[in-house]
Amino acid sequence: MSSLPSAPAKVPIWRDVRVLRWLFQIAVLAVVGLIIYWIWGNYQTNIERSSVQTDLRFLDNPASFTIPGNDFDQSSPVRAAFVQGFLNTIQVALVGIFFATILGTLVGIARLSKNLVVRSIAAAYVEVIRNLPLLLLLTFMNLAVVLQTFPRIEDAWKPLDLFVISNRGLAIPWFEGSAGQLGLLVLAGIVLAIIVVKLERARADRVGRPSRGLLLGTLALTIVPVIGWITLGYTWTLPFVDGRGTSGGLRLDPSFFALIVALVVYTSSHIAEIVRGSILAVPRGQGEAADALALSNSQKMRIIILPQAFRVAMPALGNQYLNLIKNSSLGATISYFELTQIAQITVGNGSPAVPAFTLTLLVYLAISLFTSLFVNYFNRRLALVER
Amino acid sequence: MSSEVFKDATRMSGGRASDEAIVTMEGVYKRFKDFEALKNINFQVGKQEVVVVIGPSGSGKSTLIRCINRLEEHDDGRIIVDGTELTTDVRNIQEIRKETGMVFQSFNLFPHLTVLANIALAPRQVRGMPKAEAEALARELLERVKIPEQADKFPAQLSGGQQQRVAIARSLAMKPKVMLFDEPTSALDPEMINEVLDAIKQLAQEGMTMVVVTHEMGFAKEVADRVVFMADGEIVEVGTPSEIFDNPKEERTQKFLAQIL
Amino acid sequence: MITWLRRNLFRTWWDSIMTVVFGYVGLWVIWTVIEFVFVTGRWEIIQVNLKLLLVGRFPDELMWLVGASLTALAFWVAAVAGGSKIDISNRQSLSQRLFDYIRRFGLIVALAALLIFLAADVAALLLALQILGGVVAGRLVGLARRNVGVLGAIPSIIWHPMLASPAVALVLVTLMESTLEEWGGFLINFYMAIISIVLCFPLGVLLALGRRSSFPIIRLVTTTYIELIRGAPLFVLLLLAGVALEFFIPPSIAPDAIFRGVTVFTLFTAAYLAEIVRGGLQSIPKGQTEAGKALGLNTTKITYLITMPQALRNVIPAQIGQFISLFKDTTLAGAALNILDVLNVGTAITKQQDFLGQGLIYEALAFVALLFWVGSYVMSRESQRLEKRLGVGVR
Repeated sequence: MSSLPSAPAKVPIWRDVRVLRWLFQIAVLAVVGLIIYWIWGNYQTNIERSSVQTDLRFLDNPASFTIPGNDFDQSSPVRAAFVQGFLNTIQVALVGIFFATILGTLVGIARLSKNLVVRSIAAAYVEVIRNLPLLLLLTFMNLAVVLQTFPRIEDAWKPLDLFVISNRGLAIPWFEGSAGQLGLLVLAGIVLAIIVVKLERARADRVGRPSRGLLLGTLALTIVPVIGWITLGYTWTLPFVDGRGTSGGLRLDPSFFALIVALVVYTSSHIAEIVRGSILAVPRGQGEAADALALSNSQKMRIIILPQAFRVAMPALGNQYLNLIKNSSLGATISYFELTQIAQITVGNGSPAVPAFTLTLLVYLAISLFTSLFVNYFNRRLALVER
Repeated sequence: MSSEVFKDATRMSGGRASDEAIVTMEGVYKRFKDFEALKNINFQVGKQEVVVVIGPSGSGKSTLIRCINRLEEHDDGRIIVDGTELTTDVRNIQEIRKETGMVFQSFNLFPHLTVLANIALAPRQVRGMPKAEAEALARELLERVKIPEQADKFPAQLSGGQQQRVAIARSLAMKPKVMLFDEPTSALDPEMINEVLDAIKQLAQEGMTMVVVTHEMGFAKEVADRVVFMADGEIVEVGTPSEIFDNPKEERTQKFLAQIL
Repeated sequence: MITWLRRNLFRTWWDSIMTVVFGYVGLWVIWTVIEFVFVTGRWEIIQVNLKLLLVGRFPDELMWLVGASLTALAFWVAAVAGGSKIDISNRQSLSQRLFDYIRRFGLIVALAALLIFLAADVAALLLALQILGGVVAGRLVGLARRNVGVLGAIPSIIWHPMLASPAVALVLVTLMESTLEEWGGFLINFYMAIISIVLCFPLGVLLALGRRSSFPIIRLVTTTYIELIRGAPLFVLLLLAGVALEFFIPPSIAPDAIFRGVTVFTLFTAAYLAEIVRGGLQSIPKGQTEAGKALGLNTTKITYLITMPQALRNVIPAQIGQFISLFKDTTLAGAALNILDVLNVGTAITKQQDFLGQGLIYEALAFVALLFWVGSYVMSRESQRLEKRLGVGVR
């Protein structure tokens, strides 16, 4: 092969792709390192100049504030306040996600309703709420609804005598007895429901007719806790006005109520759009194929459309959950004692700002990571089940 | 473009275009993880030669020609295009890409640019040609692929066959020394295949050096100087169209041809 | 008519119940709103404080800056919209196009009319006319770019900054000309959003490129940044910037609250924008890059000429969405950094001596809500419209 040089020419180092790739990366890394070094240097000099704490020792100082609705007292360490704040954030997140999902799904399906009135109202709801700032909704709930419109405790509203609504908060009927036992009963219900569904599926496969697993499962899920609760000798209690407060039932802090409502309303408007979009994203041919197989309308929705729509919706739903968790930090603006509010107060009381807020950010980051891991896991499960 | 140079009958058949090789591959290996896509490829393309590569899908045909302009990096062996060796030298890679044109199965026209801008892009950006000159060149090339009237449309407004002809014109605009065709007609509706094949044939007649991966056996018979049959990442058999199609020596070639003819 | 009613309202007995129940609720809401707006609402509080709500205590002698910057913004947006090839309208009759314009921008015009009416001021009318002039001029320049060869030949990377720079410069000057005490109102929300989105754009694009890079170190650095920011609540970042930014920069350049807000919004939105642009880049088929390589273009040119333009265009709707949420999120700066933004002004005016204890929070918040709602709604409608056009148009 005369045209072939005997050995490849040596590549000059400044033109070698491999060298260039690494050089470029090292250069970028150096720039990033320089920026971090600059910030860190500034931090060190500024810390020295103002002699504030940089470590987490402040967590052991007494908190010197109280958290309403809690046995937490002024001498407890800041650490305990942070833990309580974390628990409150989780509480808001769980309750908020639960209701936002239900409301959002309903509104999303309603937007596709064949009924003109239902469709229009759902659309108006979504279009109005989605285009307002969350903080505005929250301020509205707090200043206008709770503080201005809700009556004083003396003339509290008592719809159906089940609720007590006043500017002191909202009281709802609640179970009497230990939360642990209730949890166990619900768990038992879930286990039983799973067993029932499995058995029913197997039976349906044998006998050869559509499974009624969903119906029976739901029944098992509700009946077990209710019967168990009654046989254990517990009932529920209704709230009533007791002097300047309420007794019985479960009392919800006004700020908790305002925060939950604002978060649920705001997030549900976004979830509704996701649900609607995902249902529309299922190819029309799927519905037609189901019709061609003579499935009923509800079978078509349940077996064909919704599982596919849910898979499409899952990542976006996960994002909304993350948003809701992060948005719960706005509770601080209406003095709901969640994580951010705790951080803000302790910093106001003299805890060092940088470590306190960094800690707060890390906790949110951890919650976000955990949530996305969970969503991803669920997502993968769904994807696998589909295939 | 060395235009009206028609192939002359004296061209070596069975083509060992020894001292005029434009593409030389020597002992080339390509691995994807633990799958060997190319195994010990030794292969040359001479000046003005038309080489057609055939073989079952997954046999490494596309990988072979994608290695020639470094869309895939070969793991072993040497590849030399027009005297420039493909090494990790950026300048060599750019040099070779300037000298080779490629036409893809899925056209890969730039959808946000007009047909004219698609063709004029590379001459302007790579060769530094003035805009007016590049556009004049683009119009001339559109003339050659017989769609001058489409110059100001966007690719999505064209039929598949037209798009592929634009893609050919776009490659020619760089005045390449060798053209690589990666299954240029596989994504086309049947009625459009011929218009594209005609454009490629015309190029061949004008003396363009080409490596064509295709499933169009009729085209291979008619246009190829040499046919390369590949299977399992190896070159199994090389020969003139008549040698390969009428008188295949290797068993794998015989089997493949029996299946498709 | 009857069949229409049957089909849309009373298909089944269940359907009929829904129609009646929701119809009742809907009518009740509409009636309550109308009653509030026209009968029970006491709108003096808005009328008296209109300037405070819109621009805070901005000094009168500098009001021309507000007018000039708003006009420049209007010019910019109109020129970009008019110049984009996406916007080639089908041949519609004049009345159809007029109807289309009313549907798209009627709300904005109505809001402007309401504000002028509330202001009852010639200056407000003149300002509106000036802004309208900006829109018309921008539209003409945009059309000129599409139709005049010389203008069309200017590359986008020069053209867009050229259009944007007067607006951005004027907004910056407006932001810096007056002191923090004088600033406030809706304009600060709007301008913080504008400045942040302009500043975050290059950063977001770079981050997206970094995240898509084939270089592992760069991918690691950018991914870490993006995920850290996206895991953090904006409100906490703003609080942190409020009390702790001076720890991280030399004390000599410690900025005021507005600048802190803009810094956080920029760094925050860049991470989200990066994810949007990354999505856009991912949607570009690999063949586009390969074709570019095969033609001998280098990586920079492939990105700048081929993949990035397509990616950015595909994600215009998502970018608008991001801008809308930034616009709404500027209210957080009011809460975290004590900036007198429109929401803070809105709650503060109910505590003025003349209005204290009269329960006017509904009126105040309704007005603030109206401003945000019209802005966001019109933008989101425009983005939906673009989405459709991008889907079916030249691609």
